[in-house]
Amino acid sequence: MQEHVQLSQKKINDDLLAGVLGMPKWWLGAVGFLLLVIATGIGAYGYEINKGLGVTGLNRPVLWGFYITNFVFWIGISHAGIMISAILRLTQAEWRRPVTRVAEVMTIFSLMAALSNIMFHVGRPWRLFWVYPYDFSRGLFMNIRSPFVWDPSAVMTYLIGSTLFVYVALIPDIAVVRDRATGKFAPKIYGMLCLGWRGTPRQWKLQAIAGILLSALVLPVFVSVHSIVSWDFAVAIGVEGWHSTIFAPYFIIGAIHSGVSAVAMIMALAMWMWKLDNYLRPDHFDAIGRLLIVVATTWFFFFFVEWIFALYTLESPELALRELQVFQAPYMWLFLAFLLTSFFIPVPMWLFKSVRRSPGLMFLSTILVNIGMWLERFLIIIPGLARRQPLQFDWGSYHPSIVEILVVAETFAFVALGMLLFSKFFPIIPIFDMKEGMQVREEIKIGRRIVPASIRETP
Amino acid sequence: MASHNASGHNEEHHAEGMYVPFTSQREVVNDLVTKHDKISDKWLSGVAAAGFLLVLGVIGFVMRVNDGVSDRMVWAYYAMMFSFILTTASAAPMVAIAPRLANAHWRRPVSRVAELWSAAGIFSLLLFIPMLWILPPLTDGRRSLWFYNSDDPFFSKVPVYSPHIWTTAALLSLAALGIMLLWLSAMPDLALMREHSTGWKQKWSARLSGRWIGTTEQWNMLHHRMGIVGALYFMMLVFVHYLVSTDFLMTLVPGWIDSLYPLTHAANSLQAGVATVILTMFFLRKFGGYEDYFTLDQFWAMSKLLFALSLLWFWFWFSSFNVFWYGKKPSEQAVLKYLMVGSYQPAFMAGFILSFVTPLLVMMWNRVRKSFWGPTIMSVAVLAGTFFDRLRLYVAAWSYPGVGDYRVDKHEIPFDSIPAANMPGVPDVLIVLGVIGGAVLFYLLAARLIPPVSIWEQKELMLYKLHKAYHRTEVLVLGKPR
Amino acid sequence: MAENKWGMIVDIDKCIGCQACVVACQSENNIPINEEGHFNQRRAIEWIRIERYWEGEFPNVRARFVPVFCQQCDDAPCEPVCPVYATYHNSEGLNVQVYNRCIGTRFCANNCPYQARFFNFWEPEWPESLKNQLNPDVTVRSRGIMEKCTFCIQRIRRSTREAAKDGQEVEDGDRGMSPACVNACPTHALTFGNLDDSDSAISKQSKEELKQPAGSRPGGRGYHMLEHLGTHPNVVYLKKVDKTAEEHEVHG
Repeated sequence: MQEHVQLSQKKINDDLLAGVLGMPKWWLGAVGFLLLVIATGIGAYGYEINKGLGVTGLNRPVLWGFYITNFVFWIGISHAGIMISAILRLTQAEWRRPVTRVAEVMTIFSLMAALSNIMFHVGRPWRLFWVYPYDFSRGLFMNIRSPFVWDPSAVMTYLIGSTLFVYVALIPDIAVVRDRATGKFAPKIYGMLCLGWRGTPRQWKLQAIAGILLSALVLPVFVSVHSIVSWDFAVAIGVEGWHSTIFAPYFIIGAIHSGVSAVAMIMALAMWMWKLDNYLRPDHFDAIGRLLIVVATTWFFFFFVEWIFALYTLESPELALRELQVFQAPYMWLFLAFLLTSFFIPVPMWLFKSVRRSPGLMFLSTILVNIGMWLERFLIIIPGLARRQPLQFDWGSYHPSIVEILVVAETFAFVALGMLLFSKFFPIIPIFDMKEGMQVREEIKIGRRIVPASIRETP
Repeated sequence: MASHNASGHNEEHHAEGMYVPFTSQREVVNDLVTKHDKISDKWLSGVAAAGFLLVLGVIGFVMRVNDGVSDRMVWAYYAMMFSFILTTASAAPMVAIAPRLANAHWRRPVSRVAELWSAAGIFSLLLFIPMLWILPPLTDGRRSLWFYNSDDPFFSKVPVYSPHIWTTAALLSLAALGIMLLWLSAMPDLALMREHSTGWKQKWSARLSGRWIGTTEQWNMLHHRMGIVGALYFMMLVFVHYLVSTDFLMTLVPGWIDSLYPLTHAANSLQAGVATVILTMFFLRKFGGYEDYFTLDQFWAMSKLLFALSLLWFWFWFSSFNVFWYGKKPSEQAVLKYLMVGSYQPAFMAGFILSFVTPLLVMMWNRVRKSFWGPTIMSVAVLAGTFFDRLRLYVAAWSYPGVGDYRVDKHEIPFDSIPAANMPGVPDVLIVLGVIGGAVLFYLLAARLIPPVSIWEQKELMLYKLHKAYHRTEVLVLGKPR
Repeated sequence: MAENKWGMIVDIDKCIGCQACVVACQSENNIPINEEGHFNQRRAIEWIRIERYWEGEFPNVRARFVPVFCQQCDDAPCEPVCPVYATYHNSEGLNVQVYNRCIGTRFCANNCPYQARFFNFWEPEWPESLKNQLNPDVTVRSRGIMEKCTFCIQRIRRSTREAAKDGQEVEDGDRGMSPACVNACPTHALTFGNLDDSDSAISKQSKEELKQPAGSRPGGRGYHMLEHLGTHPNVVYLKKVDKTAEEHEVHG
């Protein structure tokens, strides 16, 4: 599937280590800017801790707002990493090679961002650790019936699992960096991190086995995480529009939709920033674009079924809620924007091969998807809360305060900073995987046609 | 003849574990055309047995017709069997479509086996005809996908036979797409038969293969069309499941508002479809003489698929169950009681154990997945599990006592105690046997007309799959045409 | 000790919407003063609130008042969702909120169909002059936690304790154990008591009112709020006796 760009091993090393061993000019500026955004966000959060959640826009019917929306959004983004990496690895898709690490690293940082949102959200964050089985002196185990206990356990499992997943795939590359790093500390630190990697056949075998095992084991965790996040809403009977059985698969497919889009976005950014044109080829964007068409269409079908079954009940509270979402400002405009950005603009774009093969257009369309999917979460969470049916006396609405906006911006800056730091200190394209890809690449000549092929071990 | 000779041949020239029965395309063509040309006794006895079962089914059906169509309860088992065929046979072609789109080489001998099941789509269409009479129009006040409401000035204009109309249309399209897919993918083989067969088969294949001579243009067109028809088949399959599981199942139980269920129904059918294909593969291997084609590769790959889909079964089921169970709404609790823990509990437990627990515990071992018997036994379990799962849902829904007593705003199932299960009578048993026999009969007849192993895909494989020495070992080189 | 299951009957027919119960609750339970700003932010805390609905078209408009407070459900949706057991069901049928455990996820409030739970968005404040008026039996809640109607559990505890001192079992209305709202209601629209004590006034009345088919008189006015959700509340509402509706029924 890939166009043939044959690169020597030395060239691969030079290209992919350029960022790690050198220091591009823009890097410090970007990091500085992101740190500024993060500092502002942390300041705003400090203010929130000091004064109480009154400084947010939350109020009595709408007790969950931007933070929970953002939490679900980042959990969603985190799903792409494993989706791309584990599934494509298990199915031995060749085009995955340069894409996997970007996706996996994004998983880790977006999971951290998601967890931080819970911290921003709760009333007394300094006691948040009570949702873990800790602090036994109180003689009180946490309530395992609560989705808010399932959540942290699933997310933490996922975070640990995917960190290991990234790390195992990173070890050979760290060893490469170790051999080339200069200075006083860098060789030592990389030396420690690569766990004595020498590249012996035994080490390679163990690394491959660990990678495959982790792929297979992290997949169920991946499914459980977003199912559980969806159950934060779906098991509740108190809010109209949340109590729907489709939520778990619907959230997962939505997460994959936004997550894979985010991968395409970050790929384009990485390509531009670290000059990786030889590695992230138009073919990779093409493959992701094809994947996205399938994912987006499936997601839209789930969306459709969810809606049909909301209307199917013909119960007035449900109908009133849907009417609020679709026909009343400001939700109407958000709903329209959501539909256009998450499906009706990007998907027709992806149908064209020229769009799929253009990193710039893919970047734009996937940004749209992420705006749309952020709005989707917002539209699931807020309108149901704003008009709590059927007791209508306490209806309300919700406007985020400046504090919430700053804190949410902080999460975006945090993930961006994480990616920047990671790609500065570690190769963002897996070097060993690229080289392996070059090794297993073959061609079969059939008549006058040359068919790309790859070498596999005999089963 | 092939198996023993070939394995001897294998040991002589190749590394252990490698299995290369044919060395040239001509051998493949000869082998497959010869096998397909002769009518074996096993095929005849299969047809006879299936035909006998079908006759039994017709007898059962006639007995039921005597009972009339006003009481839906007596038709519960018939409805269930219609859905069972839809779940198994109609989903089987997906096994041809998905791996073909993913360009997986192991699917090559499997895809025709799977596509031939779309012949049984015609049978499910026939089965559907009586359902049109059994299911009452929307005037009984039940909820429906079509929002019919006699009190509302706008929604009273919805045709009261909407479920019947739309499901018929969707089923017709599904059957048509299935046949089209089968025909498209058989085109090169029909052309081969035109050249190599004799007698009526040659005439027949000459007519169907049209002007196929295998130009590049034709091939490109064929791949393109197969992709599109396959994707459409998949979409139509999901849509049919969506319609059937709502209008013919969920609406009959008033409190059952389960937005995931249509997709569960479809996901279950993919699992059952894979099981159906594995079982067919096994029979073709065992009795059809196709040992050289259905090798461990195919069984291994298919059993991975079956394993994954069995896990999916649980996830979909649990997603629905958890929301109902945790929410504790009386209406939903009543649905759970009626469908899972009430009189249909044994059927539910059987379905749960056979469709999920057993495959999970058995197929998590690679040694089982990488065998002939493992996947086969597991697909029997999965099919039985699907049978019981469909039984507890359809029979329960169609035997729901409050027929004709629905109100749109009704939240709850009105009964205080769960009614007893609707046990099958003699006609029901006959119908169950007959429907299975009918589907098998359709398959066997279709396999007579079109070779059950795709010849051209096998030939293609010989081009794309090479064995090559690599340093000190031997490797496979797999071509991935794009 | 006999089992207690505390419950309340709210006779909507008697409610005149005077808000006396709200004020009584406010001062009994150390609820911060709800200033205009709090209402505008929709962050006011009223453990009991009088929901006012308008019915009919002008000029024949009628106001309907429904006091809503925590229904102390037997199958409370708020309980299973709390990760830290800050809300749980005690042995006396009360849905209890443990302030010290609460971390403020607000999940319980979302899952409460009665919207009877309140979040402390701000640190509570009282004017200097009112600080000595705070009830010493009730915790002053900090910012960031949930609170809700407790059926004045401090009063129940106190009278149980005092009864135990005398070697007796506590009875309804005994030793000042009624919640503040019940005491304050000028029309006796609220009745509090032990539903498990078959001799108590409340258990007799609720049985009577719930037994009859809905709508029949006398009795048969009882219902649980949002019954179809299956929360099994311990608060019984009695329907308003609607004269015009009855006339309509007679004539129509």
